[in-house]
Amino acid sequence: MTTTTQRSLRDPREVIREEMAMHAVIKAALADGPLTVPQLAEAIGHPAVEVLYWVMGMRRYGHLVEMPDEDDEGYFPYALPGKGA
Amino acid sequence: MDYDVLVIGSGIGGMESSIKLGDMGYKVLLVEKEASVGGRMILLSKVFPTLDCASCISGPKMSSTINHPNITTKTYSEVTGIKRRPDGRFTATVKEKSTFVDWAACTGCSDCQTACTVAVPDEFNADLAARRAAYIAFPQAVPKKAVLDREGTSPCIGACPAGIKAHGYVSLVRSGKDEEAFQLVLDATPLVGTLGRACYAPCESECTRTKLEGPVPIRLIKRFAADQHYAANGATPSGPAVEVAEPNGKKVAVVGSGPAGLTAAWQLARQGYQVKIFEKRSQPGGFLRHAIPSYRLPHEVVDADIANLTSIGVEIECDAKIDDIAALKDSGYDAVVVATGTQNATPMNVPNEDAAGSVNGLDFLADVANDNAPDLTGKRVVVVGGGNVAMDAARVSLRLGAADVKVVYRRTRAEMPAHHVEADDAEAEGAQFEFLVTPLEVLATDGQVTGVRLQKMQLGAPDASGRRSPEPIQGSETSVACDMVISTIGMSPDATLYENVVTVGRGKRIAVDPHTLQTEVPYLFAAGDVATGATDITRAIGAGRRAAHMVDRWVNDQPMTGFTALDDRIDTIGHDTVLSRQTAFGHRNPIKGAVDLTQLPRDFHEIESPLTEEQARAGAGSCLDCGVCSECQECVHACPADAIRMDKRDVENDFEVGAVVVSTGYKLFAADNKPEYGWGRYANVITGMQMDRLLAPTRPFNTVLRPGDGKVPERIAYISCTGSRDAQVGNPLCSKVCCMYSIKQNQLIMGALPLADVTMHYMDMRAAGKRYDEFYEQAKDMGAQYIRGRVSKVTEKENGDLVLRYEDTEGTGEIVEAEYDLVVLAVGIQPNRDVERLFTDEELGLDEYFYVAEPSEDLDPGVTDVPGVFVAGTASGAKDIVDTIVHAGAAVAQVAAHLEKAEQATKAEVLA
Repeated sequence: MTTTTQRSLRDPREVIREEMAMHAVIKAALADGPLTVPQLAEAIGHPAVEVLYWVMGMRRYGHLVEMPDEDDEGYFPYALPGKGA
Repeated sequence: MDYDVLVIGSGIGGMESSIKLGDMGYKVLLVEKEASVGGRMILLSKVFPTLDCASCISGPKMSSTINHPNITTKTYSEVTGIKRRPDGRFTATVKEKSTFVDWAACTGCSDCQTACTVAVPDEFNADLAARRAAYIAFPQAVPKKAVLDREGTSPCIGACPAGIKAHGYVSLVRSGKDEEAFQLVLDATPLVGTLGRACYAPCESECTRTKLEGPVPIRLIKRFAADQHYAANGATPSGPAVEVAEPNGKKVAVVGSGPAGLTAAWQLARQGYQVKIFEKRSQPGGFLRHAIPSYRLPHEVVDADIANLTSIGVEIECDAKIDDIAALKDSGYDAVVVATGTQNATPMNVPNEDAAGSVNGLDFLADVANDNAPDLTGKRVVVVGGGNVAMDAARVSLRLGAADVKVVYRRTRAEMPAHHVEADDAEAEGAQFEFLVTPLEVLATDGQVTGVRLQKMQLGAPDASGRRSPEPIQGSETSVACDMVISTIGMSPDATLYENVVTVGRGKRIAVDPHTLQTEVPYLFAAGDVATGATDITRAIGAGRRAAHMVDRWVNDQPMTGFTALDDRIDTIGHDTVLSRQTAFGHRNPIKGAVDLTQLPRDFHEIESPLTEEQARAGAGSCLDCGVCSECQECVHACPADAIRMDKRDVENDFEVGAVVVSTGYKLFAADNKPEYGWGRYANVITGMQMDRLLAPTRPFNTVLRPGDGKVPERIAYISCTGSRDAQVGNPLCSKVCCMYSIKQNQLIMGALPLADVTMHYMDMRAAGKRYDEFYEQAKDMGAQYIRGRVSKVTEKENGDLVLRYEDTEGTGEIVEAEYDLVVLAVGIQPNRDVERLFTDEELGLDEYFYVAEPSEDLDPGVTDVPGVFVAGTASGAKDIVDTIVHAGAAVAQVAAHLEKAEQATKAEVLA
């Protein structure tokens, strides 16, 4: 057992465990409209790799929906159900 | 014989074996460790080379397996041991792990998993995304039933003598469900706010997070939930605080309104009993109000908690001293619960103990609580004793203006029974301690205390409690001048209420059966300190819950059992097991409550601040989910079929079988064993199985995205032979499937992401088999690139892109670097060594690579070195799906021959 450095990936189990605590934070960040994972990461101040775990967990259980990648930049925006979705 | 054949494992090999044997008329017992049959095949995207949908072709097999009249399937079960009998048959022990769900009632609706408050990696999605602790294995699961992932009781819950589900309310607060957290505690006791302040939190002592940087602030999280509730709903509920059963026409009297009595009344009233509490003091609450000082537990918090009780119809009569239990019973009650606590202070039995200015701690604290505090301005106070009451008396004295407070105790600080926090806080506020002294006499002049004469002590041999006994040092006395002496050397129950009715035990306690809390007079029960001696709030609450349960059982003429809250908890999970789930833990600064400790405090304001919302969420977020399921009960509330059964337990049975088929499959190579490729360190390096999940119809993301940032990858590289044909990692064997599944995925990616470039770096391409090479050529025609040469290293760029370094063996021969968005490691197959634990009294032979050995695999495929034991599929070596099915067919034929031969031998023996 070791302690992670800032640059290395955190243990996925630890990141995933935090999903429940991140729901409110992510929902608040999406209140004004859809965001891609990198945009959301910047908005809430967490690494994109961790935000992706949380977004996909929330998407799976109906807290978020994906939107079309209309600007074709390679990133799908995610939105609250019924909020621009 | 129970079954003709035991088949272990329900992957495609196990299902095929079972179905064919069942079709032949044999009775088959199929045991699968997961909650669904199907193994790995059902999780694949498509199969090569036909590109048939894996779900579409394995789904019917799964359905046939589970519905076959000759196959009994036990999913979520494990074979824990197999013994060969003298008659050649086998005894197999099968553990059916509890799912904590009544599968007969479960409709597979998913409401439980949607409501669940615990997120864990989803092994059925190769850990790419989260599932919940309440889960259905995957959308096509057969049977499609829910499971609660409970690895044990969380240590915080296991440590709570009140049986309060600490992990549950922590996970609820983490999820922002503060009211649900309050309600979860309310399910055990009405004293939510009280516990949030005055509990000594044994849960935190056992918190696994303590092994890292400090415990989850569990008690303060409970206080947060209580404060939120009372702030939103007011301290007096406008209606019933909880749902209450219809009145059942039964009446119960509770004598005493401390935590045990209040909790017993609460639980009984919820079940429809008409409950009345008799309290001899003028206000209810027992020691909560009359002993615990208000700077620790404000009276308005006790009032708010008690209002929960009265909101559901519990009547509390104060100034109502009960003298005759039998008369009380005869006044119309079906049962009586005595919960009068330990009201009598133990006297010091020294001269002048009754002088003016000499009091006992219980009376002193009660007077202060009832606005009858003495004026101690400028006075010198000596407190005798070393328990929590002593600390309270000392700190209250300071608040009443005492100039000097000294606690004298006959042992050392290490033996003091007071909670260490109380002692530390008392010292911080200015109380002084003198150890190894005991009072000989209260010194008095004209009947007024002037000091205490003390005997100096030393520690001798340990007594029955294990603490070293204090012994007087002859000829060494001292004295302390003071104006007031407060004695807090012990307390005991007042037995006058019951001494003429039932047996009085040690320390004047009422004698009860410790399991039922019933006395020798059947209608009379006792809960809390009156039966155990002085303990603490949580133990009193636990006893109150137990008493209520047992009263209900007795009144309804039911067996005195079934108190599952404390008596039937599953084993507490060990800290080491919890910590072993992760390779590393991020550091978190522990969140602690802010306590306002000042020298010589002079008022009774509450000294501990509540957590802010941010602190509460962060504190709850540090929970490690030790037991996995938090027992928050959200699934129980959400399930429309009422199918959740938290009281289900594992069941183990022995079965006699005639033959065994081992079809336990394979393990995938752990990609972090090739550190040069960066899996586990670089987010955009994934395994072939992870890519198969991304391509599957039930994929974890909305399409193929790279895990590092959710980008649709445009440049994707494959590295073949990761963990295969590699002596350095201990696997010289070819895995047979990696080339072909990579080619399959190459084609699927080009279909899903038409703009993507796919490149495979390979050692040599192995596409032998019917239509396999054509499949390879087809991928090339679609645009996939194949570069021969082993990749030596993968490095990550700042933007998450990956650089592969390899030798271009078919071109210039130079070392080349190429950049990609996503790298897929074509990991190989390895033996599943779990088979080594199957047989308890003999070994199942393995080959030199640890696959199940087939001594004559050329002529007798499927036959192992144990007569009557056969192997099917990849348990004996790497195979693709087609070969696995063929091999399973061979095993089936061998089993049939074995069983027929055994039957003929038996017939011949009978005829002879």
